[in-house]
Amino acid sequence: MAELDCDVVVLGSGPGGYSAAFRAADLGLRTVLVERYPVLGGVCLNVGCIPSKALLHTAAVMDAAKALGEHGISFGEPKVDLGKLRDFKDKVVGKLTGGLATMAKLRKVTVVQGVGAFTGPNQLAVEGKEKTNVRFSKAIIAAGSQAAKLPFLPEDPRIVDSTGALELKAVPKRMLVIGGGIIGLEMGTVYSTLGTRLDVVEMMDGLMLGADRDLVAVWQKFNAARFDKVMLKSKTTKAEATKEGIRVSVEGQEPKVYDMVLVSVGRAPNGKRIGAEKAGVAVNERGFIPVDTQMRTNVPHIYAIGDIAGNPMLAHKAVHEGHVAAEAAAGQKSHFDARVVPAVAYTDPEIAWVGVTEDEAKKSGLKVGVAKFPWSASGRAIANARSEGFTKLIFDAESHRLLGGGIVGTGAGDLISELALAVEMGADATDIGKTIHPHPTLSESVGMAAEHFEGVCTELLPPRRK
Amino acid sequence: MREVAVPDIGDFKEVEVIEVLVKPGDTIAAEQSLITVESDKATMEIPAPGAGVVKELRIKVGDKVSQGSPILLLEESGAAAPASKTPPAPAAAPAAASSEPMMVKVPDIGEFKDVEVIEVLVKPGDTVVKEQSLITLESDKATMEIPSPAAGVVQEIRIKTGDKVSEGTAILVLKAGAGEAAAPAALAAPVPPVAAAMVVAVTLPPVPMEPREATQSKPHASPSVRKFARELGVDLGRVRGSGPKGRILHGDVQTYVKGALAAVPAPVPAAKGGALPFNLPAWPDVDFAKFGPVEVKPFSRLQKLSGPNLHRNWVSIPHVTQFDEADITDLEAFRKSNTAETEKQGFKLTMLAFLIKACVTALRQHPNFNASLERGGESLVVKKYYNIGVAVDTPEGLVVPVVRDADRKGVFEVARELGEISKLARDKKLKPGDMQGGTFSISSLGGIGGTAFTPIINAPEVAILGVSKSALRPVWDGKAFVPRLMLPLSLSYDHRVIDGAAAARFTAYLASVLGDIRRTLL
Repeated sequence: MAELDCDVVVLGSGPGGYSAAFRAADLGLRTVLVERYPVLGGVCLNVGCIPSKALLHTAAVMDAAKALGEHGISFGEPKVDLGKLRDFKDKVVGKLTGGLATMAKLRKVTVVQGVGAFTGPNQLAVEGKEKTNVRFSKAIIAAGSQAAKLPFLPEDPRIVDSTGALELKAVPKRMLVIGGGIIGLEMGTVYSTLGTRLDVVEMMDGLMLGADRDLVAVWQKFNAARFDKVMLKSKTTKAEATKEGIRVSVEGQEPKVYDMVLVSVGRAPNGKRIGAEKAGVAVNERGFIPVDTQMRTNVPHIYAIGDIAGNPMLAHKAVHEGHVAAEAAAGQKSHFDARVVPAVAYTDPEIAWVGVTEDEAKKSGLKVGVAKFPWSASGRAIANARSEGFTKLIFDAESHRLLGGGIVGTGAGDLISELALAVEMGADATDIGKTIHPHPTLSESVGMAAEHFEGVCTELLPPRRK
Repeated sequence: MREVAVPDIGDFKEVEVIEVLVKPGDTIAAEQSLITVESDKATMEIPAPGAGVVKELRIKVGDKVSQGSPILLLEESGAAAPASKTPPAPAAAPAAASSEPMMVKVPDIGEFKDVEVIEVLVKPGDTVVKEQSLITLESDKATMEIPSPAAGVVQEIRIKTGDKVSEGTAILVLKAGAGEAAAPAALAAPVPPVAAAMVVAVTLPPVPMEPREATQSKPHASPSVRKFARELGVDLGRVRGSGPKGRILHGDVQTYVKGALAAVPAPVPAAKGGALPFNLPAWPDVDFAKFGPVEVKPFSRLQKLSGPNLHRNWVSIPHVTQFDEADITDLEAFRKSNTAETEKQGFKLTMLAFLIKACVTALRQHPNFNASLERGGESLVVKKYYNIGVAVDTPEGLVVPVVRDADRKGVFEVARELGEISKLARDKKLKPGDMQGGTFSISSLGGIGGTAFTPIINAPEVAILGVSKSALRPVWDGKAFVPRLMLPLSLSYDHRVIDGAAAARFTAYLASVLGDIRRTLL
């Protein structure tokens, strides 16, 4: 058994884990990074954010090429070579994970491959090709989450989670997406562009919960043609694997046969799989590890970050938490005090939101003012032939400081950063409106929404004052 | 009436309630969300199976529920309709018609705004009597209860615990008189405005108050300034921003730290955990339960508030306590000879009332005792008014209501007022204004015992008089020991403002006034 001594061990090499490890190494700590798979990068790089974006990009260009028919430019029907598309996706992933391995090497971070579990408050055993015992003075748990399973579904290659869907084995004729959240709808978009007809079943009363309904409504209208059926407030009760396909029963519906079923009902944290109890680290019944603003668990020298430390389960949140944990482990007074964490659905159009939503404001009785700039008034959006979206800013009614906002439209995920920056900086409507946005861009819509809030936007009629 | 239970929510069991979206008294529509539950996979809202009025909640946030767990009692509007068809009892009809529901609002509570509601004492359907406490508010100074302006039945609550209220904020809807069948007509008469009963007609003298940040809004500072402040351990809520629109800049944090270093007051150390000032060793961390059974009793809100203030005063003011004795043999006889008279008028003539008058006389002679240090310690603010604070022990903790303009009041008036404010204090009905503007305080333990003690100065005042139990003592009158009733006095004073000789003169003079109360006339 190999023995390793280090200042800090990081368990898990997803975006949170490798960011923590790299930051710790940059601060001069002897760092060990433990990863169960042979490649670094975790779910995000290997079977999540990145490969799905490679496929979504492909789908978007296909859809855009088709839409050009309206402009008098016609292409033939696309020929899809799934093998080549898979290769492209794998190359994208390979480039990034390879880059990570190099970065780890240059930073002198020791990577140990294998499944890590605590064996004591200062020891972690890694079961890989050989057994390694890592003795640490600080630990950062970044063991992430995994796709939640539905127990009544049979084992069948045609029933997949997001990882299985990304393998892109075939283009099914008919696919059922169970769970109408971001992941299911992103993968649904890819398959639908490749030729699959979609049904969605969702237990709650709306798709992409968390985002304001007006944002989702725009996406839903634009994508109506992709779906045969959107079943809300519906429960999947049974699924049988038959020769023809997966026969799925949804409450109140005739059973239907699908060629593929994508299960995307959320993700469950891995807190109960890492021997936390041996180190004395408290894990709650849902598998999350409670932490303070320094990302410390109940055991002061052990930190937890990313999905395992709580919602929202987003890579960019994990990265910031990873930096905080590494800095705190190095003795710095770092705290996680970001006021907002943006969220993005990379559907087409994209939906992005940050900070206070209108629904939340209503529920909590927060006094807010809302300004919406419809993209039908944006020259650039019209020129792009994509003017279905809008930009919505939510301000504190009294101070006019930005509290949050939502954008639906092409590239919304890139536009939302300005709102996040404005919230962190405490910018008010005038600050945003008086910042010159280049013309003609989609980002103009942010400045104009702010101007509209102050009644000084000349692209729209001034709002009626109550 | 029907009990609404958690419907079939799939395979989820023991899911946590993270939000309750309705409250008793709410009128809800069918399919309206009642509660939000959260499993490890998703959050979901449970909708109402029908329309109606929520009668009673059966769950709270944090409960674990499964299919079939009761959520609430619903009086369905479908069921309510037929019931109302039966003609109401004839006697009840006129009463109901004459009692319009009234909106009860927060009355004048002094200069306080955005005071937090810490307790709602009634619920819809409760019958309340006039002056019954409806809600408890808490400012940074004290808790107070808001009484009902009239008798009646609570129809609807408009606020909840944690809300911030100011004068005029709606509290609840009261159907006046509806609950009192005995005299419906009288109670249905127009109710006097709420404020009238509550307002104490005093104009508050201008007292410098610590500016306080509105805690609900986050400090206006960018991430880099927040990081900088954190490194220095600066609470940005206390930093004044000099940038545009009050933005806190890098330099503002530096200025704040320089100011904090220059100011005398030591930081208030946490009782546990954090490092103590002056390089003291850490507070001993003892597991008391290891040595025998213990019970942890949380402090009341008032105790939590007053503790840090007392600590600040104790460590930041250089205290000296001067002890003396006053011969109150004659004064006590005089007091006793007048008690019958005041009891007829309905109040007690206490020694404290005479003490207040005597102190005012001594303060007139020694104006530096009726003063405050200006911030920065460059000069002394001498006050031309005499508001005497009286420490009152209540079950919730210590409060110090103020007898205003004691110099312009007679002993009877002071005594009567003392009775009133003590009662208000014990009933938790003191308003923050009642505790502001003091210029000198008295803490009397005379009714309990003791020979002397060292009271803590009530900042920003500069002196406080402690009074212990009077006792008959042999006093040498030049020829013989004679029994005299002696009252022990303990005067704590701020040595930055008052020197020892002045304090000795003050207590000696005070003793002479108490020895011959006619001196108050001089």
